[in-house]
Amino acid sequence: MREQNVREEQLMPRPPPLMRLERVTKTFPNGTVALRGVDLEIEAGEVHGLLGANGAGKSTLIKILSGAMLASGGQLTWKGAAVSWNSPRAANETGLATLHQHIPLVPTLSVIENVFLGVRGGWRRSVALQKRFDSLCDRIGYELDADRMVSELSIGQRQMVAVFQALSSGAELIVMDEPTASLAAGERELVYRAIRRLSRTEQRAILFVSHFLDEIMDLTDRVTILRDGQAVLHANTCDLDEARIADAIVGKQLVKLEQRTAAQTAHTAPASLQPRLELRDLATPGKVEPISLRVAAGEVIGIAGLLGSGRSELLHAIFGADSLASGEVCVNGRPIRRTIAGAVGAGIALVPEDRNRQGLVPNFEIWRNTTLPALKDVAWFGLMPLSSREHQRGRDVIGQLAIKADSPDLVVAHLSGGNAQKVTIGKWLYNDVQVLLLDEPTAGIDIGAKTDILNKVRQLADEGRSVILVSSEFEELLKVADRILVLRCGKYVAERKAHETTAQELLLLAGGQSAGHSPRDAARVN
Amino acid sequence: MSRQDLTPEAIEVSTTPAAALPRKQRKTDWAEILSLRQMGVYYALIILVDVLSLATLYLGHPNYLSALNITNVFYQASLTSIMAVAMTVVLISGNFDLSVASVAALAAAVLTGFADSIGFWPAAGLALAVSAGVGLINGAIVQFVGINAFIVTLATMTAVRGVVLIYTDGHSLAVQSPAAIEAMKAFESGQLNIGLVAMGGGALLLAAGLAHLLRHRASSERVTPFNAALIGAGIGALVLAAAGGGRLMLPKPVVYMAAFTLLVWFILQFTVVGRRLYAVGGNPEAARLSGINVTRYRLTAFVLCSLAAGFAGILFASRLRSINPAALTGAELTVIAAAILGGTSLFGGAGSVIKTVAGALLLYSLTNGFNILNLGANYQGLIAGIVLVAAASIYTVGGDRRRSKSS
Repeated sequence: MREQNVREEQLMPRPPPLMRLERVTKTFPNGTVALRGVDLEIEAGEVHGLLGANGAGKSTLIKILSGAMLASGGQLTWKGAAVSWNSPRAANETGLATLHQHIPLVPTLSVIENVFLGVRGGWRRSVALQKRFDSLCDRIGYELDADRMVSELSIGQRQMVAVFQALSSGAELIVMDEPTASLAAGERELVYRAIRRLSRTEQRAILFVSHFLDEIMDLTDRVTILRDGQAVLHANTCDLDEARIADAIVGKQLVKLEQRTAAQTAHTAPASLQPRLELRDLATPGKVEPISLRVAAGEVIGIAGLLGSGRSELLHAIFGADSLASGEVCVNGRPIRRTIAGAVGAGIALVPEDRNRQGLVPNFEIWRNTTLPALKDVAWFGLMPLSSREHQRGRDVIGQLAIKADSPDLVVAHLSGGNAQKVTIGKWLYNDVQVLLLDEPTAGIDIGAKTDILNKVRQLADEGRSVILVSSEFEELLKVADRILVLRCGKYVAERKAHETTAQELLLLAGGQSAGHSPRDAARVN
Repeated sequence: MSRQDLTPEAIEVSTTPAAALPRKQRKTDWAEILSLRQMGVYYALIILVDVLSLATLYLGHPNYLSALNITNVFYQASLTSIMAVAMTVVLISGNFDLSVASVAALAAAVLTGFADSIGFWPAAGLALAVSAGVGLINGAIVQFVGINAFIVTLATMTAVRGVVLIYTDGHSLAVQSPAAIEAMKAFESGQLNIGLVAMGGGALLLAAGLAHLLRHRASSERVTPFNAALIGAGIGALVLAAAGGGRLMLPKPVVYMAAFTLLVWFILQFTVVGRRLYAVGGNPEAARLSGINVTRYRLTAFVLCSLAAGFAGILFASRLRSINPAALTGAELTVIAAAILGGTSLFGGAGSVIKTVAGALLLYSLTNGFNILNLGANYQGLIAGIVLVAAASIYTVGGDRRRSKSS
């Protein structure tokens, strides 16, 4: 069908595209050039994928599109007429809505009030609004309870509220900035269905920004790839494969991690050897049911679980960050104090899920963030931190993890996602860490940084540390982990060797199919 | 290490930038360091002092810039400064304390009430203990019950003032015992000669600054703002001491204030404790997950703030040797205003005690200038309010500019 379109285009003069960007540039007051002349065309009814590594200019382009920022040069055309939006509201009124990665909803209002937040009118609730809401539900094919508070919804449902909001404003072009980054697999499917429906049956155009190559392949009709502020590739998705997209994003042959083989994973220590980390009946009331686990030195344990499966809670319980947790944690055979200080003292490190909220102090420079957990080592007599040693450490982290920063003096709030994530890992490299707990370390970052991080994780394990890695991307677990535990609703449901399983099986185990209840798995719980 | 899941390319990816990374300092951004946002409170203070001294000169009033008058401004600002410095610590930790003025009044009442019977020093100790107790209550409620600090300290502000009223039965208390009065005089009034200290300290700062400079010259790095500040402060102290011929007489409360400020500044700037405090305010969750005991730091900040308020109350009572139950009402707002003028963030994680003191001096220079120029006290509130809003706007707008640059 797409080929047919192409042929038609050659025959007759095309109508102007819905949205066209010509040679759009953006230079910031401090001299940083974010965009160096980007062309982009979006047609009605198409799903247009926008890809690029962190720092390639995606965010800037989206901000210009959505009216949050003015372009320094170039031309924006909407249905053939030049436009210049100076506020998101102006863009909205023309017919463009933006779904941000972090969904800006009012948590204390109900679903319907959030959906019609921008609608002017005298009443908070009216029959007319309820009717419009019902028709939105029909059009998208998804039922939301209009009266639920947004704060009670899951992240996936909130994303749908944002989609409703965009549609209610009558948008013809919806810009979606990584709408699936924080969603579990089942919730992603919701968003995909909504996108397909909107583009096929309603002829809405969607600009879909994502780091996930598979969903770009599945979902989009055309893609544009940005690199260093330039569009390096415009193509129909059907002419591409993931490898080519990845090449275009990175600009070089992509580093690939192979799935681990039996030989590689066969080093689970014999039972007689003391495990590096041992959990005995670790539990958090209402979140994690009692779990016991032995992790050998050099072993990487993957935790496969969907959102709400208790995977983060398990890591927090190990780390002593949850005072409700019960049970015992032993490092090298010795039980540790169940506080964060006790865990850090025993050599446990946690890289938390939300790097901005939990991992970094935003107004600290790279060097001050990296030395935070082990300040005493860089301090004079353990009392006064020495800036020269701290800078040395900051430079070392930048080098070890290939962080794109020319100096450790850079404030971390200015770093892109992947580089900020690397800092949250780097800060634990100096603590004599025995056990590294990683919670979604690759969420929302580009494929180059992802590879760097996964390689680093492997390297740290090979040096004798034990690693527990939580990830929503099960392929990642297959590539890095030796064993994979599956959690569902706070319960341990299965364990697989990485070379014996597939992402599909893990998804089935984690996602509510009853596949996990074979006797083999029940026997392994302890 | 036989397991080769790292392809050669992967190794290259992770090592190339390390090799390419030169060991260089970023160029010092003097424009940013000297910007209004960073140094605004000093500029404002300099401009105000200039305007006032020109005005006094022109109108034939006694010169504003006389040593006597400057000392006077410092003296008037000292109590507020002591409280504001501790308030800055609480604000950096990400909390807020409205109860300082009430706590100071309580400490003053306890001191005045007990000085006759148990003597000045034991009474002062008791006053400090009571103050620390209030700080502990503030901190415990905020940290363990989880109520917003604004609400908690609004409540303790009211309640502690109530305790003062109950304790004094609504009347003024005065110290009677001559021994206690003598001790109070010895503690609060009179001046100290800190000429030698200033000279020694100045020489030390200058030497440290020059040593720092030389070391950085050797490694071909630029003059950092830090050693510029060291050298500047060193020369300043030396000049001050030399101008008085080695004598630098300062009222005792000013000396206490300076010593306390320098101590807190040193801890915040150079020690592990200071770094962790900024981290606790900058992102409590990240600090907690880095193994820092956030609760302990915040609790300690509250106790320190109340202790400083108690100390200010002791100075206040020693000055007047009596206490009126309504004393210091509203002073907490001046204290917070001084911290905000100094650029302390209400959201935690940022602030400087030296700038806070500059903020307090700014507020008291305004008052003092109005008095000297006979402009009438009625305009003071209006002008102080305008200055506060102007300062806050500069910090906010400046902050926005920086944030948008970063994206």
